[in-house]
Amino acid sequence: MLTTLRIQAEDFDLAEQYSLLRSSSPATTEIGAIVTFTGLVREFEPRSRDHNDDGGALDGMRLQHYPGMTEKLLQGIIDDAAQRWPLLAVTVIHRVGHLAPCDQIVFLGVASEHRQPAFQAAEFIMDYLKTRATFWKQITIDGQPRWVDSKDSDTTAARRWDAQCDG
Amino acid sequence: MIRLHFFGRLSDLATQVPSRCAGETPHAIRQWLAEDFPELAVQLNEPQVLVSVNHCIVDWQTPLTDGDEVAFLPPVTGG
Repeated sequence: MLTTLRIQAEDFDLAEQYSLLRSSSPATTEIGAIVTFTGLVREFEPRSRDHNDDGGALDGMRLQHYPGMTEKLLQGIIDDAAQRWPLLAVTVIHRVGHLAPCDQIVFLGVASEHRQPAFQAAEFIMDYLKTRATFWKQITIDGQPRWVDSKDSDTTAARRWDAQCDG
Repeated sequence: MIRLHFFGRLSDLATQVPSRCAGETPHAIRQWLAEDFPELAVQLNEPQVLVSVNHCIVDWQTPLTDGDEVAFLPPVTGG
């Protein structure tokens, strides 16, 4: 399986990443399905449960990560997915640094022979990325920076995979 | 010496913390930090905060050796 893993400040081009995923796998002719996911910076952030604010329109966002550990954790998540489903290629690109509303944050592409493993592996990788990979978001609203709270719904989403032995 | 890293909201509270220290376990370092950085220590004692040694999540009582890299990790919020 071909894995591409990048953590970068620069933006990425969806068409280019799709094209690379489609053509660069050694098993190109076996690919029957490609699922892609793109995460974006929302303009409005809801009220925080841990902060005394009403949420509001974002001025911007800063993404911090733990160099070295992030790559290791993401590779582990991709390896876990490849154990569960027959995958041909996976690309993960996660941006760090300063981002503006509507900017792209994360790209995931999963190539497989059939759509079902591609869909399921894509959900699995995103659920684990959100709950395990060492990234932290700091948003600024009305000039006030604050760290984003982790979401219980993300933890619940990741846990559903724990109960399944083989996808 | 042990190298220390703080992330997320912990990094804002740890700007004055030395980047290296001595300590036999992550728990011992956390107790040592409480003396000079009580606000940080409160956050470090939150059950959701994890600790890693050399990029592996470990128990707070894991023995440390010279040159280890210890990081304090609040709940992650990527993606």
